[in-house]
Amino acid sequence: MGALAHYLETRGIPTTQISLIKEHTQKIQPPRAIWVSFALGRPLGLPGNRGFQLQVIEAALALLEAPKGPVLADFPHDVPEHTPPSEDSLDLPACPISFAGPVTHATEMEKLLAAFRQEMAEFRSWYDIGLEKRGYSAVIYFSPDAVLQVLSDFLSGNPLTLEENMSSPASALRFAAQDLKSIYFESVMFRPDMVLTDDAAFTRWFWQKTAAGAILRAVKEKCSASDDKALKMTGDMLLVPLDQA
Amino acid sequence: MSIKIKKEEPDMARLDTMPEPMRSHLAELPCPTFDTRPWVSGPPLSRRRVAIISTAGVHRRGDRPFEGMTGDFRVIPHTCTAKDLVMTHISTNFDRTGFQQDWNVVFPLDRIRELAFDSTIGSVANFHYSFMGAADPAVMETAAEKLAGLLTGDRVDAALLVPV
Repeated sequence: MGALAHYLETRGIPTTQISLIKEHTQKIQPPRAIWVSFALGRPLGLPGNRGFQLQVIEAALALLEAPKGPVLADFPHDVPEHTPPSEDSLDLPACPISFAGPVTHATEMEKLLAAFRQEMAEFRSWYDIGLEKRGYSAVIYFSPDAVLQVLSDFLSGNPLTLEENMSSPASALRFAAQDLKSIYFESVMFRPDMVLTDDAAFTRWFWQKTAAGAILRAVKEKCSASDDKALKMTGDMLLVPLDQA
Repeated sequence: MSIKIKKEEPDMARLDTMPEPMRSHLAELPCPTFDTRPWVSGPPLSRRRVAIISTAGVHRRGDRPFEGMTGDFRVIPHTCTAKDLVMTHISTNFDRTGFQQDWNVVFPLDRIRELAFDSTIGSVANFHYSFMGAADPAVMETAAEKLAGLLTGDRVDAALLVPV
C-alpha cells in the first residue's frame, strides 16, 4: 500500500492512506498515512457505523493539508470493546453436524461429506432468506448446490465440471471455498439463534466447529499432496488461514 | 438456543499482540524502501477531488477476478453500489465478514459521497480503483504509472489509499 502511494505521488498525484501494519508503513515511509489499530479486513473499523467510518476517513484526508512530510499519524481511537458475554450465555458449540449417519461402513470421508450436506441444507435456508431480504450476496460464482457439487466431486475423486469462467480446478476450488464461507456467514447474519460476540467469532466458529470447515481442511490436504503446481499452491496457501491450519 | 462464540484472541492489527503464525508472516513480509520522498501539495480539502484506491481485491461483479500476482487493477465507477462490488483477493488470512456486512468498512464510497455532499471535500472522482495487495509492490509500479494518468485525466488531486 505504501509503495503504491510513493509511486503515485512521484507521478504527481497527492496521496493519503490508511495504515493497518504500522511497522510496514514506518519502513516504506509513504507521504501521508494514518495508522489504525483495527483488525485486518476492516480498515474503516466498524461495519455499519457511519460516524466512526467518517472519523477515520477525515483523519486520513486531513493529512493532505499537512505542511510537510512524510507524515505518519496515529488514529486516536480503537474499535469499542464488545460487551463481554453475561454469565448465563454459554459458550455452546454451534456445530449442527451429526455423524450418526445410517451408513455404518462408510469411510470417514463419506461421513464427513454426509455431515456437510446435512449442515449445508440447514444453513442454506437462512442464506436464501438473507439473499431475498438484502437483494444481494457476497457469493460470486458458486451457489450452495454448486459448492456442494464441486467440493464433493473433488474429495470423491470425480472429475470436476467447471463453468467457462473458471480458469482451472485450482481457481474453482479457491472460489468455491470463498463462496462457501460467504454462504455460511450470510446464514449466520440472518439466523435468530446465533450471536457473534466479537469480530473474529465467525472465523473461529467456521474453522473449529463446522463440517464445512473440516471439508475445506480435507480439500487443502488433498490439494497440497497434488502434483499439479496450481493445486498444490492453492492447498498450501489459499484455502485455510495460517492461524487455523 | 442462543449460540455465542467466546472471544479468545485480540483481533487488532497490532503486530505485537497478533497471534502466531500471522505475526511472523506479516513481520517478515519484505517492504520496499525508497531514496526519494515525493510530496505534492494541493488546494484545501474542500476543493479536492477524491478517488479511492483499494488493495482489497474488490471489483465489479462481472469483472475478471484477481488470480495472479501481476499487480494489475480494476476500475470501479462512482455509480457502483454495495450489491455491485465483490472481493476475489487471494489471501485467506484476513476476515471478510466486515465487508459482507457493510462494504464501506473496506471500500468507503458511500462515505466519500457524503463528504462531497456536505462540502468537506470538493467532489468524488468518476472512477475508483482496486488492486490485490498480495502482489509484490515492485510489479505495481508499472500499473501505478498507468493509474496516475487515469487519475490525472479524471482531475483527481486526492487519492485515498485503503488497505485490507
